[in-house]
This record gives sequence, C-alpha cells and structure tokens, in this order.
Amino acid sequence: MTEDDRAARFFRDMVANTEKMVKATQLFGQTRDEDVAIGTTPKHLVMRRDKVELFHYEPMAEATARTPVLLAYGLIGRYTMADLQPDRSLVRNLLSKGLDLWLIDWGQPGRTERWLTIDDYVDDYIDAAVDRIAQETGHDRVTLLGICEGGVFTTCYAALHPEKVKNLVITITPIDFHADVKDKAAHHGFLNIWTRSLDPEDIDNLVDTYGVVPGEFMSSVFSMMTPMRSLTKYNVDLIDVVDDEAKFMNFLRMEKWLADRPHHPGEAAKQWLKELYQENRLANGNFVLSGRTVDLKSITAPVLNVFALDDHIIPPDCSRALGAKIGSRDYTEIPLPGGHVGLFVSSKSQGKLSQSITDWLVARDANPVGET
Amino acid sequence: MNEKSDQNAAPSDKTPGWADLWQSFSDSSKQIAEAWSSSMAPFMLARLLEHPQGFAAGNEMSEAIEKMAQGPRLADVWDIDRKMALVFGAWMDMRQKLASYNAVTAAPWTEAAKRFMEAMSAVTDNGNKPPPDWREAFAKWSEISNEELIRNQRSDGFLRAQKELLQSGLKLRGRQDDVGEAAAAMFGIPGRKDFDEVTRQLTELRREVRALSHQVNAQQRAARSTRPRAGDPVASSENQPNTQ
Repeated sequence: MTEDDRAARFFRDMVANTEKMVKATQLFGQTRDEDVAIGTTPKHLVMRRDKVELFHYEPMAEATARTPVLLAYGLIGRYTMADLQPDRSLVRNLLSKGLDLWLIDWGQPGRTERWLTIDDYVDDYIDAAVDRIAQETGHDRVTLLGICEGGVFTTCYAALHPEKVKNLVITITPIDFHADVKDKAAHHGFLNIWTRSLDPEDIDNLVDTYGVVPGEFMSSVFSMMTPMRSLTKYNVDLIDVVDDEAKFMNFLRMEKWLADRPHHPGEAAKQWLKELYQENRLANGNFVLSGRTVDLKSITAPVLNVFALDDHIIPPDCSRALGAKIGSRDYTEIPLPGGHVGLFVSSKSQGKLSQSITDWLVARDANPVGET
Repeated sequence: MNEKSDQNAAPSDKTPGWADLWQSFSDSSKQIAEAWSSSMAPFMLARLLEHPQGFAAGNEMSEAIEKMAQGPRLADVWDIDRKMALVFGAWMDMRQKLASYNAVTAAPWTEAAKRFMEAMSAVTDNGNKPPPDWREAFAKWSEISNEELIRNQRSDGFLRAQKELLQSGLKLRGRQDDVGEAAAAMFGIPGRKDFDEVTRQLTELRREVRALSHQVNAQQRAARSTRPRAGDPVASSENQPNTQ
C-alpha cells in the first residue's frame, strides 16, 4: 500500500464516519424521550406505602409454578433493567413461562428518605409486600427473587422471616463483600477496592452533606469501572449502531435506564457502604437489622444463586460465598456467561436466565395441572 | 413634684451618653468588619498575581484563610464574612486536590501511548507492512488504554487522590450549605438542617405508628384465635386496599 493509498483510505473513513455522526445527530433530533419506552410489561398497582409501590404483572401463560414470585431490585438503579424492552426482558420471559410475578418498586427516593435504613426496606416494605401478596393470593409464603442489592435485602428477609419464604432466588448478589480479593481479573471489583479506600467518616460526610448518595455520583463511579467504554459510547459506539434503527433504539433504552439512577437513601447507604462493603458484616455474621442479627444459617428455604462470570461490579466469588453460609440443604448455583447488566439485557443471554430460574422453581414448586 | 421631675430627668440626661457609646461601639464594629473584609481582597489579588496559573500550585493561601476564618468568633460581626472566607478557602483547596487528581489520572495515557506505538510497530513490521484500518487500530488502542486506566485506578496514588478530592469537594459543599443556612436564617426561611430534622421526626414517628399497628393486629389475631366467633369482622389495617 502506497502513501497515497493510505491517505485515500484515511479520508474515505473520515468522510464515512462524519456522515454517520451527522446521521446520528439527525436521529437524536427526530426521536423524543417518550418514544424510548422501558419497563412496559403490563402490571397494575396493588399497594402503595410511602414512595414504595407493589405491582402485580398481568399473567401471560398458564401457571407452571404454584407460589407467587416477588421481584425486588436494589436501590442502585431501577427495576426497569429487568424489563428493558419486550425482546430483552427477564420479567416478560418469566411471565411467558407461567410464573405469577409481583414487583416491589422503590420509586425515586430523595432527601425525604434520608433516614430510611435497610431495616426499613427489609422489615417494613418487603414484609408489607409479602403480607399483601399472601392476603391477595391465599398463599402463606412467597418466592423471593432479588437482584443485586435487592438480593441482599431478600436474603436478609429470608433469614429473619423464614416462615414466610417458600424459595429464595438471588441474582448477581454480593454476600461476601471482601471476596473480590480472590478474583484475579483486573477489571473486577473496583467498587470493593474504592469503597474500602474511603474512611468511614467520608461516607458519613457524603450522606450528611447530600442526605443521600446522589445517583449521579454512583453513575460516575460505575463509569470509571469501564473507562474506555465510557469514553467511546457517544462516538464509536454510536457509529456502530446508527445504520440500524433497532440497535439505535436499544442504545437509547440502555441510556434511559442508566440516566434513571435514583438517589440512594442516606442512612441505608451508610449501612450498605460501611457495614457491608467496608466491614463485611453479612458474611461475618454480625449484620443487625431491627435489633436482630441476620444469621444466614436461618435460611432454610431452597436457594438458587445465579451470578455472572464476567461481573465487574459483583465479582463471582462475592456471590458464591452464600452456599457455605446458609442453613438450607437445597442450594443451587448457576454461573452464567456475561456481565452484571449483560446477564439481563444482552441478546446472547436472553432466555438462559429466565429458563434457569423457571426450571429450578418448577422442579420444587410445580403447579398441579388445571390449577391457577 | 420637683423631686419626681428630677428623678425623671436624670435618666434622660444619661441617654445621650449611652447612645453615644452605642454609636461608638457600632461604628468601631463596622470599621473592624470593613477592615477585615477589605484586607482580604488585596491579599487574594496579590496571591493571584504571584501565581498566575491560579491556586493549583499549592494550598498555602487556603491554609492562611482557614487560619484567619477559624479565629475567635465575635457575637455580632464577621460571621457571614467568615463563612464566605471559609467557602473560598475550601474552593481553593478543592482546586488544588483536583489538580493533583488530574495529574494522577493523566499518567496512564503516556504508558498507553507508548505501548500502542510498540504494538503498531509490531503490526506494521516497523513500517514495512501497511497499517491496519482505523477500526483495528482503534480496537488495539482501546484495549491497551483500558488496561492502563484500570491498572492506574487500583493504585494507591489514584485511590488517595480520589479520596482527597472527594473530601475537599464535600468540605466545599458543606461550607456552601453553611452560607445557605445563614442566608435562610436571615430571612426566616427554614433551611436544609430544619428539613432534615423534620424528615427524621417523620420517619421515626412512622416507625412507631407501624410498630403499634403490628402490635394491635397481632393482639387481634391472638384474640380471634382464642375466641373464635362466626361472623367476626376481619379488622386490620393490613386489609385496607391499595394504600397504606
């Protein structure tokens, strides 16, 4: 290849990329926020308690598992990750496989929720939701399906209220917050390292100053964890998707979910960052909620633990730790390929997660034929 | 009558003396406050001229302001000035911490550029083969940069710089809030601390009400189970539809 050929190729590429960026600008101009819909699977409101809402999803298939399933996401990010779009939706996949699905939505906490603790989320909001589902369905126990921080909440609930939990399913959930040191992958576990690098007083100051851990603050920490991806998503990534409308809309839906990052209630954030990330109390057996120690040995319900093998936010070993600590003899681990978010939204993982959960539940809790 | 008049006259004779004294105190307080305030401007200007690149070079000035502002308080003067000075000091401190942070975060790019050049030399066999197209080259650049940036993020230097930047940012925000609180108090408007106090009381009150509600429901359930009667109403706040 001569110098002239190289120069011609350089200019050709530059013109093509410029044209794509112009096209991207036009597409942005033509698309309205309301065109980018996420969390659209039909559901109806059953109960509201403060800003927390309990929803019941409309069934999509004949019931396969008997017990209602309560889905609980964490306070970092929103549940819409599990229902990003119709063809990439854990929620829709579970419904189509015959599960009776309920959702607890924490809403948008602000400074008003500064004083809420994890005790409130576990012993008040989740407990009230479980009681309400029991009241609505006639079941005295429910299956809990926790995601990330929501998995910690549901694990604590299962330990403190074992009589109300039929099965516990957790996904991408940290249990041993110091197990990241076992993970050799350089891009795994920065959140653990970063949190431990802070003084406990820094976390107190952050919460006392803002009343919350601001969603924007957490977003910036997450962006740091994938540095080049964060730097290239509005240029190179956009060039890659601009010619395909479906891909462009997928990109915008993911952006909408990322932008919709709520503030984390202040006192709960202190517990999350100091007592769990720094002091590792849940794994050490000295995490106390509502005056009671969360003893993981008290978990006697069957447990399914699903984690992502390339999870850079919750390294797999942090999740795996649960197996050795619970009282239940029925414990299953399912490691799946993919990352923290990719497990739920990537086209490759679609179906695997929901199929694993449904198969596991039906094996333990099959609905008798003809019963709804 | 005269005696009474004399008694009345006596304080009024003294009034101008007290008024003069008060006026004198007031004037001198104002002069002190003005002198203190106006002394800051030339001082800051002088330091700015000494360091045309800004305050990032060091934090001597923020330390000096801190020392002055942390001095003994007087009841009726200086407070807002003192708070403003503290904000300014915190801002300068944060600028310095930001400069340190930027220096730490800039370091891996040099190493990434060096490694990328080596990688490209290998691909092109030191210029004997054509360079890869932009996508291939960019993928390599992205991979190398990502590795270097992540390696840097896990270093003690990065973590320390980031922590210090966070601490200084929070200090600045806290001091800005203090000015806001003082301004709100001046106009009789509730401030952030008042709001936090109200929400704390509300949260605690809600917990107490819910604990009592649970207690009552448990007692009712226990009573029903010991004295079952046909047609008992299911009296419980947990049975209320839709909202609680």
